[in-house]
Amino acid sequence: MIEARGLTKKYGARTAVDGISFTVGPGRVTGFLGPNGAGKSTTMRMVLGLDRPTAGSVTVNGRHYAGSPAPLREVGALLEARALHPGRSARDHLRWLAASNAIPARRVDEVLDQVGLTDVAGQRVGRFSLGMGQRLGIAVALLGDPPVVVLDEPVNGLDPEGIRWVRRLARTLAEQGRTVFLSSHLMSEMALTADHLVVIGRGRVLADCTMSQFIAEHAASYVRLRSPQRTEVAGLLTREGLDVTAVDDELRVQGRDAAAVGELVGRGGLLLHELTLVSSSLEDAFMTLTASSVEYATRTETTAGAPR
Amino acid sequence: MTDTVALDPNRHVPGLTRPGFRQTVHAEWIKFWSVRSTAWSVIAMLVLGAGLTTLICATNAEWLASSEADESPGSFITFGMTFAQVTAIVLGTLTITTEYGTGMIRATLAATPRRGQVLAAKAVVLVGTLFVAGTVTAFAGYLGGNVFLDREGIGLALSDDGVLRSMVGSGLYMAGLGLLAAAVGLLVRHTAAALSIVLALVFVVGTMVVLLPGAWGEWTSKLMPGNAGAGVATPVSFNPYLLDPWTGFAVFCAEVAAVLLVGHLAFRRRDA
Repeated sequence: MIEARGLTKKYGARTAVDGISFTVGPGRVTGFLGPNGAGKSTTMRMVLGLDRPTAGSVTVNGRHYAGSPAPLREVGALLEARALHPGRSARDHLRWLAASNAIPARRVDEVLDQVGLTDVAGQRVGRFSLGMGQRLGIAVALLGDPPVVVLDEPVNGLDPEGIRWVRRLARTLAEQGRTVFLSSHLMSEMALTADHLVVIGRGRVLADCTMSQFIAEHAASYVRLRSPQRTEVAGLLTREGLDVTAVDDELRVQGRDAAAVGELVGRGGLLLHELTLVSSSLEDAFMTLTASSVEYATRTETTAGAPR
Repeated sequence: MTDTVALDPNRHVPGLTRPGFRQTVHAEWIKFWSVRSTAWSVIAMLVLGAGLTTLICATNAEWLASSEADESPGSFITFGMTFAQVTAIVLGTLTITTEYGTGMIRATLAATPRRGQVLAAKAVVLVGTLFVAGTVTAFAGYLGGNVFLDREGIGLALSDDGVLRSMVGSGLYMAGLGLLAAAVGLLVRHTAAALSIVLALVFVVGTMVVLLPGAWGEWTSKLMPGNAGAGVATPVSFNPYLLDPWTGFAVFCAEVAAVLLVGHLAFRRRDA
């Protein structure tokens, strides 16, 4: 379980994370979603005690990460796939990590096998592709067989097969009862993997709910109507207690599915020219929700450079 | 939340000890020796240190044995260590700065959040390696160079004044230099910058300050880390204006400790 309370991080005048609070529970995959520059990585670094919060706190299993006697056996993290020395072999990288937390050496071969890097374990990681580096990063996260797994943008650089593998892995880890915290800037990816969502933009929590709640609230569908008797149709549906909005020459109706709306209009003896169910995609919902923070991120990148 | 996974870091490996300083040193040891730059630096130290000592003794033995000689053979028997210093500085710098250059420092601190412990483990590995490598290099240089000095009848015995001390002293001095470079690396976190600073301090500034007027120049020169620490690494120094070997080394150690302390404080305060 990861708990953030009023977590804040400022770099000089810029606020990267602005007093966010959320809880990541066990037994499910929690997606951490936000556009680039929203504060996801900063938050994850604070979870791991790498960056010191300006205010607030974040705990893992009830205590600060740095207070853990063997952190890799409690929290496994993929932070950046490239946090590796290019001249060191994959096996040696895992070996020193295992040694630091008194993890038995056999785990090194187990996780290499699990991520499919056994054949290249002796190669220097500088020669690895982005996807192989990512797999090694995931091997690092799994090394200590931890109850909490934190993965920052795990599908970056992976091929379609690798992406499916990460999804299955995240689901399996959650089913085993582990806490899985997964960040991404891709809503579509989250929709396929996460049970719960924490959406942030501009360093603030924009949504913290289950995936189905998010879909219900933000990706609402409506029925589009076109009719030569627009006013009459609108009046009829409103009397039936439906939510009707007129946009240009169409009517948007929420609250019933297309068939029910069509039947109502038919029973009223009114003419219809079009009856269509329109569902906005999750991607659209996410874009709308985070629109302001995307603008912000773009602006800072062009004027101030990319702050770390 | 009722279905939390029980918090027990030992649950997968019954009876396992809680990791401590020994594990951190072990991890740093694996890290240190699993990149090629370490082996290359140590080989370079051996070749430069022992090789140049042997070479300079071979070419100067005849002159040293003649009546024209105004230097002591004791100055020549550790000559190569002056150049071997560079490899100790490189190794010390890389221990820290490659972690920042590659982003590995985050993996390191995620594995061992206690930063003081990480730094101490790195220091143990670096000091241990450089002390052994430095002593072996100086001794190899002595054996190689002494062949030529013996031939001219001016060979040095290990029991001669300062000879054995300079062998062990070379190891100590290399270890100290490595630590100094590592401490500077912690402060600037950049390979090229850290290397330039330490090399300039030891090789350029150390020899330039003697140009300061009067007693100022003499004392600043004596106290510069490269000069204060080098005395212990040679039986007889070329430079007559040095502190006594062990006094100088104590000054050097204090200087290294001071920079290391500042580096440690910066390391603890900064974000990784």
